[in-house]
Amino acid sequence: MAESPRYPGTPRWVKVFGIIAVLVILLFVHRLLGGGGGHARHASQGPGSHPATAGPPEGHTGSGGGHGWQ
Amino acid sequence: MAMTAGLRKFALTAHVTCSVGWLGAVGVFLALAVVGLTGRDAQTVRGAYLVMEPAAWFVLVPLACASLLTGILQSLGTPWGLFRHYWVLFKLLMNTFATVVLVLYMETFRFMAGVAADPSADLAAVRNPSPGLHAALALLVLLVALVLAVYKPRGMTRYGWRKKMDSA
Repeated sequence: MAESPRYPGTPRWVKVFGIIAVLVILLFVHRLLGGGGGHARHASQGPGSHPATAGPPEGHTGSGGGHGWQ
Repeated sequence: MAMTAGLRKFALTAHVTCSVGWLGAVGVFLALAVVGLTGRDAQTVRGAYLVMEPAAWFVLVPLACASLLTGILQSLGTPWGLFRHYWVLFKLLMNTFATVVLVLYMETFRFMAGVAADPSADLAAVRNPSPGLHAALALLVLLVALVLAVYKPRGMTRYGWRKKMDSA
């Protein structure tokens, strides 16, 4: 009885994809668990906060934006 | 699970429709993100972040789930199987990962919509690079999945190899 052929092994592209996938998952888990918590890491600033700019907040004067949220 | 040729074609059509639709929807979100970051008009910028949340719920999430489900159903009815070939396995893992990340990201969409709806928030507080970054990464993942689906690179898993030998 002929011997069944041996498993040819894992292709190189699978190993490369696998390494990339593991790195991506580790990065994702790191951000999920230790990225600073909540939405702060996604938001540039919280609502209602006013950066230290030279001019007044947008929409509070008649200049510039025009449509405003007054 | 045996499928007739007609049913296989239907399953394939459903899967391609959902997957390519998902890809296109992510492209639209990338465009919205660019508008949000670069728009000069305050209403347009706020509108971009306001529309992201409902659009994600009504388009992105259903398409992502449908793509995953149709992919699983379709693969089980074909000789490719779900775990026999690496290209199918990788597509499954990428689709699952992208869907999980999307569902988790819905909370961020809700938060950004809240900031955009707040009239006391400056435009600088409303603008957020996160949706653009996530959309670009999602586009990359979906494009890789598309390439795998078309090129079907060789490589059987050990499980697939055993199944093949058993049936020979």
